Amino acid sequence: MTREEVMKKLNEIFCNVFDDETIVLTDSTNANDIEDWDSLEQINLIVNIENEFGMMFDMAEVSDLANVGEMADLIMRKQAE
Amino acid sequence: MNEYRFEDLKIGQKEYFSVTVTEEMMKQFLDLSGDSNPLHNDKDFAISQGYQNKVVYGLLTTSFISKLVGVYLPGKYCLLQGVDVKYSKPVYVGDILIVKGVVDELHESVKRAVIKVTIQNQDEKKVVKGKAEIGFLK
Repeated sequence: MTREEVMKKLNEIFCNVFDDETIVLTDSTNANDIEDWDSLEQINLIVNIENEFGMMFDMAEVSDLANVGEMADLIMRKQAE
Repeated sequence: MNEYRFEDLKIGQKEYFSVTVTEEMMKQFLDLSGDSNPLHNDKDFAISQGYQNKVVYGLLTTSFISKLVGVYLPGKYCLLQGVDVKYSKPVYVGDILIVKGVVDELHESVKRAVIKVTIQNQDEKKVVKGKAEIGFLK
C-alpha cells in the first residue's frame, strides 16, 4: 500500500469513527483540528486502524504520535516489517 | 467478583451467568426509565401486535451486559467504553437468559478489550448479540 493509499484509508476510518463525512485529513491534522477527538476517540481510532490495516502497535508507538502524518509513517514502517 | 486486568485476558476466554426476567424487574425498569410504551406494559396490545405477551424492554435485557463486564469479564477493573447490540428475538417475563461474554479482541497499545456478547433464552435462541468495548481502571 502506498502512503497515499494509507492516507485515503485513514481518512475513511476517521470519517467512520467521528461519523463525519466532511473530514479531510492532511499530514498535519491533529486533535486540535477535530472537535470530538478526545482520549476515548483516540482509543477508538487506534483500535479501528489496527483492525483495518491488520497490524498491532505497542503503547510507545502510539503515545508519541503528534499528527496524522506520523500515524501514516508508522503504518508504512509496520507494513515494511 | 472477578478481578481480571488487561494482561490477564486471553482471546477466547469466556464467562457467563444466568438470570430470570421477572415482573418486578419490568416494574423497576418502568420506574427508572419512564418508558410506558404499551408494548412493554399492556399484554393485550402486545398480543395484538403479534407477540406472545408483553415484550421485555430491550435495554433491560442489555442491562445484564453491565453485570457481565462489571462483575465477570473482566470484573472489578472494568471501564465500559461502548456497547453495540442487536435484538434478534423478543424476550418475555419468565424467560431464563444465559448472558455470555467471550474475549474477541485485545489491543495492547490502548489497553482495550472487545468482548463478544450473546444472550440466549431457555430455548437456546439468541435474543441479543453484540460487543462491549472495555477499558481498564488502574
